[in-house]
Amino acid sequence: MTAISVSGLVKTFGTTRALDGLDLDVATGEVHGFLGPNGSGKSTTIRVLLGLLRPDSGSVRLLDGDPWRDAVALHRRLAYVPGDVTLWPNISGGESIDLLGRLRGGLDPRRRAELLDRFDLDPRKKARTYSKGNRQKVALVAALASDAELLVLDEPTSGLDPLMEAVFQECIREARTEGRTVLLSSHILAEAEALCDRVSIIRHGATVQSGSLDELRHLTRTAITVETARPATGLDALAGVHDLRQENGRLRFDVDTDALDGALRHLTGFGVVGLTSTPPTLEELFLRHYGDELAEDGASAREPVRS
Amino acid sequence: MSTQLSGASARPAAPARPGRSSTTAGTAALFRFALRRDRLRLPVWVAAGTAMVALQSVSSQSFYDTPGALAAYRASVGSNAATIALAGPPVGLDTVAGAVAFEISATVMLIAALMAMFTVTRHTRADEEAGRTELVRSARIGRHAPLLAAVLLSALACAALAVAVGSAATATGLPAAGSFVLGASFGACGLVFTGITAVAVQVTGHTRSVYGLVGGAFAVFFVLRAIGDIEGNWLVWTSPIGWAQATHPYSRDELLPLLLCLVAAVALTVAGFALLDRRDLGAGLTQPRPGRPAATRSLRSPLGLAVRLQRGAFLAWALGLALLGVVYGALADSVETLIAGNEQALAMFGDPDVGELVDAYLSTTFSITALLAAAYAVSAVLRARSEEGEQRAEPVLATATSRSAWLGSHVAVALAGSALAMAASGVTTGVVRVLQTGEAAALGRMVGAAVAYVPAVWVVAGLAVALFGLLPRLATALAWAAVGLFLVITMFAGSFDWPGWVSDLSPVSWVPLMPLEPWTAGPVLALTGIAVALLATGFAGFRRRDLATG
Ligand SMILES: Nc1ncnc2c1ncn2[C@@H]1O[C@H](COP(=O)(O)OP(=O)(O)OP(=O)(O)O)[C@@H](O)[C@H]1O
Ligand SMILES: [Mg+2]
Repeated sequence: MTAISVSGLVKTFGTTRALDGLDLDVATGEVHGFLGPNGSGKSTTIRVLLGLLRPDSGSVRLLDGDPWRDAVALHRRLAYVPGDVTLWPNISGGESIDLLGRLRGGLDPRRRAELLDRFDLDPRKKARTYSKGNRQKVALVAALASDAELLVLDEPTSGLDPLMEAVFQECIREARTEGRTVLLSSHILAEAEALCDRVSIIRHGATVQSGSLDELRHLTRTAITVETARPATGLDALAGVHDLRQENGRLRFDVDTDALDGALRHLTGFGVVGLTSTPPTLEELFLRHYGDELAEDGASAREPVRS
Repeated sequence: MSTQLSGASARPAAPARPGRSSTTAGTAALFRFALRRDRLRLPVWVAAGTAMVALQSVSSQSFYDTPGALAAYRASVGSNAATIALAGPPVGLDTVAGAVAFEISATVMLIAALMAMFTVTRHTRADEEAGRTELVRSARIGRHAPLLAAVLLSALACAALAVAVGSAATATGLPAAGSFVLGASFGACGLVFTGITAVAVQVTGHTRSVYGLVGGAFAVFFVLRAIGDIEGNWLVWTSPIGWAQATHPYSRDELLPLLLCLVAAVALTVAGFALLDRRDLGAGLTQPRPGRPAATRSLRSPLGLAVRLQRGAFLAWALGLALLGVVYGALADSVETLIAGNEQALAMFGDPDVGELVDAYLSTTFSITALLAAAYAVSAVLRARSEEGEQRAEPVLATATSRSAWLGSHVAVALAGSALAMAASGVTTGVVRVLQTGEAAALGRMVGAAVAYVPAVWVVAGLAVALFGLLPRLATALAWAAVGLFLVITMFAGSFDWPGWVSDLSPVSWVPLMPLEPWTAGPVLALTGIAVALLATGFAGFRRRDLATG
């Protein structure tokens, strides 16, 4: 059961190739993180999924429909929080929530009241007098108060304070328990780690990694710091060990997840006195992909080849 | 300009100077930046105004090439209240140069006023609304600097318009002194509207409302001077447009009235600064009141939203056109007196039927009202464009709202609103005529004459929709350019005998001149057909294209 299935999606704006063969699969009922650096094409992908932009090529299916052709029917079943929430200056937050809810096909008044309370939002203010975070909350309440089976959220927590971020995470967990599907684009890795079943990382409009967090962790390295009774030798000859260095009599290195077992067996031969291991974080994975990009940056001006 | 130089001392290293001068710190830098942002825009405004004068000069000189032609022109214009209402005081019509000034000055005054309004607003309220001023003011920029830079830029543009018009008119063979007086009158009018805009941008927090206030001020001043010119009384002196036209270029070359403009411009600008000190950044003079905690039943559909967003503008336009209908109706009486007292006119028309001449006057006024209604319709259609460009269409189109329903609601407001506004002006003119003549049938005739223009108004609205669907990024500029073209054609093609094909370019010219001429079905069917085709093109284009994002 897939809620979203995108393959080989290409979208150009004049000479800008915003999406360049992007793939994305979101299973029904999962919370899917959609990660990528600024300008990598997250919002563009989401707008194609909403039928606001027409793809140049590639196949896009959303809730078993064609997002361009069946836009209206599909939109009854989803709710969207845009990345940049702009509201009507003279219409109050409460009115905007009601309007967007009704245009979708109705919203639950009990849930609306409860969400206003949890997000601590004053619905009487006119949109132009809301702070950025409060504008974001208006869009969030409108989306979460709906009974949509799919939530499409483009950086929904930008501008929220940590307290509200926690409320948001709670709401997403509830949505998941209710069996809803969530596509969550984000820059906040802690948020993605806390919420997502699976993530897709994109860069330059193409998917570079996709899978469950466990699978992705598998692709990263664990950082090990070890103190041994006798000087440990021969580690550098092992495959999968990187960045080996000596610090204050301790040995530090990074090891690929599949080489972890071998490395530890090797170390026990020297009498392990102390050991700390830092599990791989999503951040590391992310930085590895972003880091490549930073390194590539100088070259990419002359050489527009994607990795 | 001395303040501008004092602003130049705002170097990064210089410590903040206390006192008055620091509130204008950075004006020079902002002025240069604004000049750079407008390096294309302002020359286009100045060139447009100058070209209008040059073209008018060349065409009038070939048209009134004999004394007889000029005399006939003088006779017809001197008795035509509608022309006087639109153009200005019928003074100096014994020379071709005087005729040129009479024919073109109202249009270029409008151009100067719009140039001033857009320039000042763009660099003050529009920047502030978009949050750019906040960023700028956080640098070493004084509180008054953005407004001062904007006013100086607009003043520079007005001066450029004055010099360019003077030079161009002289170059086409008109007397130099009068040409520069004519140019100066446009510049002075622009300066007054610079001051009016400087006040308006303080009063309201929205760019859109600034345009409403300044446009309303122009309309009021234009009507005041129109009444004054027709009645030949003091009312012209209540209007800055009247002051600027009181220079009477090429006949009297009076410069004193321009002093009035200058004083008003300075006083208004000073008032603008005083108001600026009394409000918060980003706000108008009044704090917004809290709104409803929940939406009413009416806000449940795309049409409900479009009506909610557009009702204020509709009411303002409808009220404006209804009042204009009152004024036009009230002036119909003066038309009779004017003709009866003008022997030349009586001679020229043989033994004119005064009633017919009044009808001719009324039919001209309705064509002007129709163009204003078309301008309203275009602004209502373009609301869809600004909703799209400011990213407010996106959340709506991500709901179960189809593109046709969303665009259709704004278009419905534009079509129904412009028809209602047209009818309102017919009703008010009709009621005034009934009171004047005691003839109850006048009401129906006036409403009929006004409503007959509705298909033509809808063609203009349809053109805006087609542009929105096909060329979204150019739609605003092109649609307003079309309205401007139609306005110029309707105002002047009839009065000044431009060739027929020129006047046929405007859909308004297709409509029979009711109540003078009888109603015919042909033009109505043709116009309705064109309107439907344009609307269909626009909707099809919008359904097919990407939504503009960012
Ligand atoms: N309407 C448009 N016209 C031209 N280029 C566009 C348009 N929309 C997006 N782009 C370009 O497409 C690319 C992808 O933009 P997109 O907004 O999808 O990035 P993003 O991943 O959402 O970035 P962010 O994290 O900053 O929100 C960028 O290079 C952007 O400049
Ligand atoms: Mg984005």
